[in-house]
Amino acid sequence: MSRTSNRADGDIVRDFLSVADLLEEPQLAQLYAYLAREGEATVQDVMDDLELAQGTAYSYVNRLVDAGVVDVTDDGQPRRYAARPIDLTVTTAAGDREYTITPALIDAVGHRETDADIDTYIERHGVAGLATALTYAVARERGEVTHRLMAEDLDISPLAAEMILQALRPVVHEHYDIEEGGASLDEVNVGDGDTVDDA
Amino acid sequence: MSAFHIADTGLFVAMGQPSNSRYQAVRGFARRNDVTFVLPERVYEELTVDDPDVEDVPVDTAIDEGWATVAAPLEFSEPVVSRVMDGIQRYIANADDRPADEVERADAALAALAAQHLSAGTATEVYIYTTDIAAGEGAETVLASEGYGDSVTFVNGFRLIEDLVAGDS
Repeated sequence: MSRTSNRADGDIVRDFLSVADLLEEPQLAQLYAYLAREGEATVQDVMDDLELAQGTAYSYVNRLVDAGVVDVTDDGQPRRYAARPIDLTVTTAAGDREYTITPALIDAVGHRETDADIDTYIERHGVAGLATALTYAVARERGEVTHRLMAEDLDISPLAAEMILQALRPVVHEHYDIEEGGASLDEVNVGDGDTVDDA
Repeated sequence: MSAFHIADTGLFVAMGQPSNSRYQAVRGFARRNDVTFVLPERVYEELTVDDPDVEDVPVDTAIDEGWATVAAPLEFSEPVVSRVMDGIQRYIANADDRPADEVERADAALAALAAQHLSAGTATEVYIYTTDIAAGEGAETVLASEGYGDSVTFVNGFRLIEDLVAGDS
């Protein structure tokens, strides 16, 4: 094997470890997801939008740059940062199953900071459990599965399934282009159904 | 025209607590329009489960306030009720590529309750409020095959609440 390909292998392992770090640290995951969403941002933007102190914001951004998942896109003043796309597929030894770690999962973990339902779910089922729940959340928004089937498959209460599916729904719609099924208020033909005023 | 409003677990979860603007928006909608949300028994059981991992859902508050109620048990002796139950289970199983007997019967209870009221003539129009797209679309499809296509509407619980909150603000 040539030296170059050995180095490329090293890059893959480095990416893998960086992503593993992101999944362990919700603040970093939240920042990564923010940069992925914004396209480009300065540390000042990060401080304003994520309500971080200056020292914390610099430290997180630098850690993401060091980890190789965030690039400096403009070296002028102020510096601008952008997220590098993450798309890492892990395959089991038998080769029968694979899972792709996407920005959606990192974003979901980042929501742990602000969403008590996601936080509780990770406490109970780990990040691995959240990854499974995210798969169900995408399938449910696509009309392929219901919260009850998820509950049965994972042996949790239907209510717990519904809670985590609802908590993950904004992440699903942020990262996947899925049309919302079903009617809205306009199609409910009762009294003031389409002219809503205050109760 | 008498309308019948069937609510699934997801609608009540999405409303949150009574102090929440989403809960208040749905309550306001119900009161303004004389709507009572009817919950199949299985849905009520799901909402009131004792699970230490999740916050209690205030469905009993809504019932006490008079804008939600629990349905009487389904009348399985009515052929249309069992037919619709089976049809929904097949529809959902097919969407997810699994055997129909693995599909939870509570998913089918929403549409079965609709069928019971439409066939008995106690409702001419039924709205099913759920956050499970497969259950909602399945209900519309299967009830259409029973000839009730124009009488059933699947309302996306999230869209309804977003519209109501936007209208209230």
